[in-house]
Amino acid sequence: MAAARLTVPEHIDVERTTLVYIAPDAATNGLDPPGSHLLALLQDGPLSVYECAAHLGLPYCVVRLLVAGLVGGGTLLTRNPPVATSLPDIEILELVLSGLRAL
Amino acid sequence: MASALSDSRVSAEHIPVKLVIAGPFGVGKTTIVSALSEIKPLNTEEVLTQAGTLVDDLTGVSDKTTTTTAIDFGRLTLPGAVLYLFGAPGQTRFQVLWDELVRGALGVLVLADTRRIDESFAVLDLVENAGIRYAVAVNHFPDSPDYPLESVRKALDLDPRTPLMVCDARDPASARASLIALVEHVRELVLS
Repeated sequence: MAAARLTVPEHIDVERTTLVYIAPDAATNGLDPPGSHLLALLQDGPLSVYECAAHLGLPYCVVRLLVAGLVGGGTLLTRNPPVATSLPDIEILELVLSGLRAL
Repeated sequence: MASALSDSRVSAEHIPVKLVIAGPFGVGKTTIVSALSEIKPLNTEEVLTQAGTLVDDLTGVSDKTTTTTAIDFGRLTLPGAVLYLFGAPGQTRFQVLWDELVRGALGVLVLADTRRIDESFAVLDLVENAGIRYAVAVNHFPDSPDYPLESVRKALDLDPRTPLMVCDARDPASARASLIALVEHVRELVLS
């Protein structure tokens, strides 16, 4: 881990609840150990950055950079939570409400 | 602490939605996240620094004063959306972490304990300062005094429109009802 090199993009659009998944045409070999551990973790499907950090046993702020680097290299894709605006989107609110009520 | 990896996964089509559950230590944040989460809740440590330079502190420099705080993290997948629940201590010394957690969050559920009502003030201050929408749930403990909700509302100086309810953090249905009240409140604010 100590030898891992992180290529950190200037703008990091990754946060705790960003969903991370492997790009369909990604080259998945030749990664540093943390990168390949992360990819192994994501083989079963998307996870939030926070879950990745917990599963890898690495601090969130490290995994955030790791993810950002792999996104920059085209290996990973992300889905971010809606942009923080003053008020949430009504469609998302309805989606959450009906989902919670149906549980 | 990592939990088993055999949990279900969401799809990339799910919209990530963040909800924060805040309250003083021992108020039941871990309990309510456990009651709501479909995965074994992850208890993680967040590194806190005075300056908020979270990255710098992990490069092996040890001359800075750092402290950590436990965060409870849970997940609840709904059709089309995935709720991420963060149980976080609401204390002003965690301001930087707090700002990050509430950024983009749908809302905050403030957990209160009527046996220690004064400990909720710091949390409410943080929530108010962040300008984030919130609801208050009183976690009822067996030895909680039975104050009428109106006197709790008065003691906490809550706006008449802020939802205030009693919940049992151990009970998934009760925990969900608190979340529903919060999301309904946010919807009313959006529609008004």
